[in-house]
Parts: sequence; C-alpha cells; structure tokens
Amino acid sequence: MPKTRQVTITFEEPDMTPMIDIVFQLLTFFMVAINFENTQADERVKLPKDMLAKPPEVRPDDELVLNMGYEKLGRQGQPVVFYTGEEIPVSKMLPRLQQEARIFRQTKVDPKAVTVVIRSSADVPTGEVQELIKSCQAAEFEKFALKATQEEK
Amino acid sequence: MKLSKSKGPSKVEIPMAPMIDIVFQLLVFFMLNLKIIAPEGDFNINMPIGMAASSEPNQLPDLKVGLRANPDGSLAQLTFGGRNLGNDDAAFDRLNAEILKVIVKPGNPLTKDIEVEIDADFNVRYEYTIRAVSKCTGRLDPQTKRIVRYIEKVKFKPSKRPEAE
Repeated sequence: MPKTRQVTITFEEPDMTPMIDIVFQLLTFFMVAINFENTQADERVKLPKDMLAKPPEVRPDDELVLNMGYEKLGRQGQPVVFYTGEEIPVSKMLPRLQQEARIFRQTKVDPKAVTVVIRSSADVPTGEVQELIKSCQAAEFEKFALKATQEEK
Repeated sequence: MKLSKSKGPSKVEIPMAPMIDIVFQLLVFFMLNLKIIAPEGDFNINMPIGMAASSEPNQLPDLKVGLRANPDGSLAQLTFGGRNLGNDDAAFDRLNAEILKVIVKPGNPLTKDIEVEIDADFNVRYEYTIRAVSKCTGRLDPQTKRIVRYIEKVKFKPSKRPEAE
C-alpha cells in the first residue's frame, strides 16, 4: 500500500481592503452626485433645448416655479400646469397665482421681486405660455425667466 | 495551582460580512436614485403683455420678429421687420445675422436700449419661440465657447387664442 501524505488545507483569508476602499469611494461618489433638491422640476415637462441656456450664476432669492406641459407625451388635449400635484388648465390658474402672491406678501416678500420661472414643454403652443404669463401679471408678478435645457454642440 | 499557559493576545475577528452587505445595499440605492439631469438655463425677459405703452416714446425703433405657424404648430415663416427669413434652421441663423447688422457690434451701448418684440402666433410651438429669443440675445463663440451678447431685452406681443380649435 502506497504511503499517503497528509495534506493540511489551510484557509487563507482574501485581502478585502482594496475592495472595501473602492466600494466606499463609489458610495461617496453616488452620495455626493445624487440630487435630492431638484424637486420643483416635473418629469413630464420636456424643455426646449438651446445652446445659450446657461445656468444662472446667481440664483434669485425668491422664485415661483411653474411647470407646464401635456398630461401625456405628445400634443393631446389641452396643456396644463402641474401645480401642487394637480393638473390645472391655464385659464384656471389665476386664483392659485393670487394665492401664491398672498403667501409671498404674508412672508414679507413683494411679489414684484419674485422671479416666476416658467418650465414649459417644447411642444406647448406659445400662446398658452403667454396666457400663463398674463395670469401671473394679473397676480402682480413681474419678473419672468423662461427655462431651457442647455444643449452642447 | 495549575496555571494555564497564556498564548498572548488573541486576534479578534471583526465580522465583515454584514458591513459589506449594508455598504453594497447603500451603493445600489444611491446608484438607482442617481438621475443625470441636463443643466438648465434661463432667458430673462421683459413682459409687457397687456400693459399700456410706456409714456416715454422710445428713440429707437423696436425690432420685430414674427413667427407664423402652420395649423399643426410647426413654423411656417420667420420674419424680421416684415421680411421673410424662411422656416428652416438657416432662417434662425439669418435672424442672428440680421440682429448683428442692427447692433453693429456686440457690446455696443445701443444694445441696452434696443428691444426685440416677438410676435408669435398662438399656435406656434414654444421651442421655436425659445430659439428666436435665443438668436436675438446672442450667439456662442465657437472658439472660446462663451456667449456673445447681442440684445438682452425681449418682449412678447400679445397673441389671440384662435376662435376655432
């Protein structure tokens, strides 16, 4: 009978340190890159693209963001304003805007100093955007900014 | 008395598996939540819609840019001061060139007083209006990638809702 040599199997622990380092770095990257703040933008709005649309250097102190678009993608039905979870036609926005102006006044902010940021879908008729601006003016807002996505060429 | 032989300090094993599990879960959570949002910019505009004309007559004539629409909302015609510029991409470039002709050179002090009036049909798609606004306000220098400002004051002419939809 041949002699068998007893082999002792030793379990060697793999070195986890580099993997953990990388995982923590990835984790840090994603935590920093995540953007929880941008909640006022509505995903249903597909902004027009433009090369000159540069993010503003100074963000206004007070702003009112209005998202406008179609309930479903594609020009179906009437464009609506996505406002506090509701879809409101432009013609019915005036009372809401007056209420916003009242809230601003209660917090000692003049509505005239508030910038109304209009985020409108590219396929909305221009006239509807103008009507929304008119309603804002009736509610005493004066400053307007039209948003577009920055396009790289 | 029998003393057990001490073998020195024993190595304490840290349980790594639960920590790695949690770290991976956090990683997956943040990866799934990451939304890559294209940067957004804005155009500041004057909005004298429905307001009475200012009492001080402007010395300089306003520049009028017209956007005529097809029934489906696409652009039928782009005009500048009554002149037809076409309805394609080149039309917007022509508008940009016309504006430059008027202001002579970018940064001219005149540009502070000149105002562009955009007269868009009710139905014309908003994207065309934004393009017209953009072409009036400046251009992007291809070398420096910086914006060369032309005219910053833009206003809209009120448009009427068509009676029959």
